[in-house]
Amino acid sequence: MQMDAKGHVSWVKEASADIGGTTGEIAKAQLSREECAELLDVKAWGPMLETYGRTMKLAVALTDAEGNLLGRCHNPQPIWSLVQSAMVGKGTGCPFCLTPPAPCTAVADALRTGLTTIAHDAAGLTHVAVPLLLGDHPLGAIIAGQVADQYPESLMLQRAAKEFGVSVQLLWGMSSKQRPVSRAALQLAGDLLFTLGQAFLQQRYGAILEAHVARSNLRFRLLVDGVTDYALFTTDPQGRVTSWNSGAQRMLGHPQGEIIGQPFSRMFTVEDIQNGTPEKQLRKASQEGRAEDEGWRVRENGTQFWANVIITALGEEAGSHRGFALVMQDVTERRRGAIELETVRQERMNLQEQFLSHVSHELRTPLTAIYFFITNLLEGVVGDLSSAQRETLEFSLENITQLKDMVSDLLDVSRVETLKLTVDSQRMYVPGLVAEVLRTCLANAKLKNINLLADIAPDLPSAWADRSRVRQILINLIDNGIRFTPDHGTVAVQGRVFQEDAGFLCLSVIDSGCGISRDNRLTVFDRLAQIKTQTETSRKGLGLGLFISKELVSRQGGRIWVDSEVGQGSTFSFTLPAFSLAKLCDSILTPANLATGCVTLLSIDVPAINGSVPAQDLTVLRKILERCILAGQDLLLPAMTEEETVETFFIIACAETSGAGAITKRLGRELENFYHGADLKPAIFATTVQLSPNDRPWEERKAEVMMRIDKLIQAHVLERERAR
Amino acid sequence: MSAKKILIIDDDEHLVVGLTAKLKANGYAVVSAMDAVAAVAVTRQETPDLILLDLGLPAGDGFLVLERLKALSQMVSTPVIVLSARDPASNKQRALQAGAIAFFQKPPDNRELLTEIGRALGEKAALPQFLKT
Repeated sequence: MQMDAKGHVSWVKEASADIGGTTGEIAKAQLSREECAELLDVKAWGPMLETYGRTMKLAVALTDAEGNLLGRCHNPQPIWSLVQSAMVGKGTGCPFCLTPPAPCTAVADALRTGLTTIAHDAAGLTHVAVPLLLGDHPLGAIIAGQVADQYPESLMLQRAAKEFGVSVQLLWGMSSKQRPVSRAALQLAGDLLFTLGQAFLQQRYGAILEAHVARSNLRFRLLVDGVTDYALFTTDPQGRVTSWNSGAQRMLGHPQGEIIGQPFSRMFTVEDIQNGTPEKQLRKASQEGRAEDEGWRVRENGTQFWANVIITALGEEAGSHRGFALVMQDVTERRRGAIELETVRQERMNLQEQFLSHVSHELRTPLTAIYFFITNLLEGVVGDLSSAQRETLEFSLENITQLKDMVSDLLDVSRVETLKLTVDSQRMYVPGLVAEVLRTCLANAKLKNINLLADIAPDLPSAWADRSRVRQILINLIDNGIRFTPDHGTVAVQGRVFQEDAGFLCLSVIDSGCGISRDNRLTVFDRLAQIKTQTETSRKGLGLGLFISKELVSRQGGRIWVDSEVGQGSTFSFTLPAFSLAKLCDSILTPANLATGCVTLLSIDVPAINGSVPAQDLTVLRKILERCILAGQDLLLPAMTEEETVETFFIIACAETSGAGAITKRLGRELENFYHGADLKPAIFATTVQLSPNDRPWEERKAEVMMRIDKLIQAHVLERERAR
Repeated sequence: MSAKKILIIDDDEHLVVGLTAKLKANGYAVVSAMDAVAAVAVTRQETPDLILLDLGLPAGDGFLVLERLKALSQMVSTPVIVLSARDPASNKQRALQAGAIAFFQKPPDNRELLTEIGRALGEKAALPQFLKT
C-alpha cells in the first residue's frame, strides 16, 4: 500500500493487471468518441451500480475521465443533497468531497495509475475511485463512498454546517444516519467494485462489437438481396439450402420459403443427378475449397438454362467447413453467342479446308505426270542423257519433291485448324522406323555429303504412336537438319527413354549445322516461321513443317522442343508415350475381375495366304472376335505388330483356365463358320498367368502380370515372324 | 514367258503416258482405260495381271469400279493397287476393305510403287477356295 502527499492511497491488485491484459488487444484498436460514450452509457450501468450501492451500503456514481459525474448518484445518503447543492456552479470536481479545500484528484490518479485510489476530504469523509480502462484507454471511473470512516468530530461538524448553511444538529442527523464504514471495509468495497466495473465494461464492449457485426451482417444481407442478376445462396455441409437471395428466386423460380432446407440438387438435370454430379461438386469444393462448373440447371417450372456456378466451402480450415456459398450466373445467351461464333468459325475453316483439299488434289495429278516424265528421263527410259541434262533434271526432281511436300503441308495445316489432323496410335517400334526414315533421307544427305547416323538405345521400349505421323515428323526434322548443316556435316537420330519421365520415349535429331539464335528459337514452331541463314538463304518449303510437327507430337501426347546455340548445331527433341500393356488394359484390370488371381492370354494366329492376310478379312475377323468376348472383362488388343496385315490377334481375358476354355470354344465355333471348308484354319493358344501373392501392393501386382503377358506377346510375334 | 500385263485406269492422259513408259521400261505390258465404263470393258477384254486404279474417274467413282471389278469372276484374284490424289486418311482403309492390296497417294515414290507391283505379281497365285466366297 502506498500513500502520497495528498493522502491518496493506492494499492496494486493483481486482478486489475489480468483484466487489463485480456482487453489490451481489443483496445489497441482506437475507440471513437461515440464508442466511448456507448461504453459508458449511464442507463446500462444504472442497475448494476444501484444494486452494488444498496448491497454495500455505499453511494456510488459513474464519472467520465475528468471526474465529472455521469448521470445520477445511486443510493445517495441524505448528506448527498448538501454536496450536490454545494457543487452547483463550481464546475468540475469530486462529487463526493464534502469540503473543497483543493480539487479532489482521486479519479485522475486512479486513471493515471490504473489502480483503485482512496481519498479523504477535509471534512473527514472517505471515498474510493476505481478506474475503468479498456486496455490502455481511460474511459472513466466509478466513485463510491460518501460515508465517514468514523463519526464526525464536533469541530468538523460545526465547520461543515457553516459551509453548507445548515444547523449542526441537522448535519449530525444526516451523517450519523448510516454507520461509518471503516477504511479496511472501504478498501474491500473498492476491490469488489474494480472487479465488477471491469467485468461489466468487458460485457458492454462485447455487446457493442456484436451489435456492430449484426449491423454489418444486415448491410451484407441487404446487399445480397439487392443483387438480382446473380443467384447467391448458401447450403449446409450436406447441400441443403440455408439462405436464398432475390436473384436466386428470380433465376430459379423457387420462393425462399419453399427452397430453404431442400437439397440444392433440385436445380440439376435428371442425368446430372443420376451421375452424382451435385455430390461430386460439393466434394471437390470441400477438398479444394472451391469448385467451378458450367452446365444446364433446371428452374422450378422445369425449363433449363446454362449456368456458370462457383461453389466456395465456408470454413476456417481445409477439411472442416460449415457449408457452402454458391454464386450462379445465367450465361445461356453468352453460350449461345459463343456457339454461333464457333459454328461460323468452323464453317469458314471447313470451306478453307475444302478449298485446300481441292487445290491439293488438283495439283497432285499434274505433279505426278511431271514426276513420271522426269524420272523416266533420268532413268534413261527415253534415251541417254548428257551430264548437264542429267544435272538439270535432278534439280527439277528436287523441286518437284519440295512441291509435293508443300501440297501435303498445306492440307495438314488446314486440318490443324479444323481439328481434323488425325493420329491413329498403335504399338510402334522405333529402330525399324528410324532405319526406314534414314533410307528415305539418304538421297538428300548424299547431295551435301552429310553423314546420317542412328543411335537408338538397345533397350528402348516400343512407343504408343502413329507410325506414319512419327515418320512424317522425323523426315521433317532430318530434312531441316540436312538443309541447315554445311557440306560434310552430320545429322544423327537418337532414341532414349525420356529422362524426366520413364513413361515416355525421347527422340532427338541432332545436327552439326548453323544453330538457331535465341529469338528464332522462340518462334521456330510457329506457323509460317522461316529462318534465313548464311548457309541457306533461299526460301524452301512453306515454313509449316515444324508447326505441323508440333501439332502431331502434341496430338500423340508428347511435346517437342529445340536446344541450340548459334554455330553449335541444333537438337530437336520430341517425346512419345511408351507402349504400356497395363495402361491399355486398365479398364478391365479391376480387383473384381482379377479375383480368380489369373489372367489368360489368348493368341489367334490367322493363316496367311502367300505371306499376308487380305485387309477385308482382318476387318471381318476383328468383328467376329469382338463378339466372342465379354466386354468389361476381356479385351481384344489392337495390332501388336507394325505390319498392317497383322496375322495374330491377342485377347486378354480376366479368367482362369476353365473360363478361358469357354472363350476358346466360342472362338473356335465362330471361326469354324468363317473358315468353313478351307484347308487352313486359325490356331488358338491360351496361356494363363498367375498374379503374384496378395501381400504386394495392387498396382505392383497388376504391372507385373501385364509385363509378363507383354513378354509372351512379343515372343509370340517374334516366333511368327521367324516362321515366315 | 510373256510379260505381265498391267492395266492403268486413270483419266489424266499425261500421267498415263508417263506411267506407261515407266512400266514398259520395267518389262511390263501396259494397257489403259480412261473412264469407269471403259475400265470394266478393258478389264474383261484384256484380263490384266494387275490393275492400277485412280479413284476420281469420269462416269463412275473409283470405288464403284473396284466393286465391279471384284465382281468379275475372272478378276477376283487380280491385285488392284489404288493410285489416287485423294487423302489416304479418309480413303486408304476404305480401298483396302473394298479389296485393294495397297494405296498410294499421287505422286508415289517410284521405287515403292514398283516394289509393290513386283511383290503383288510375284505373289499372285491361286487363292484358297474359302476366300472366294
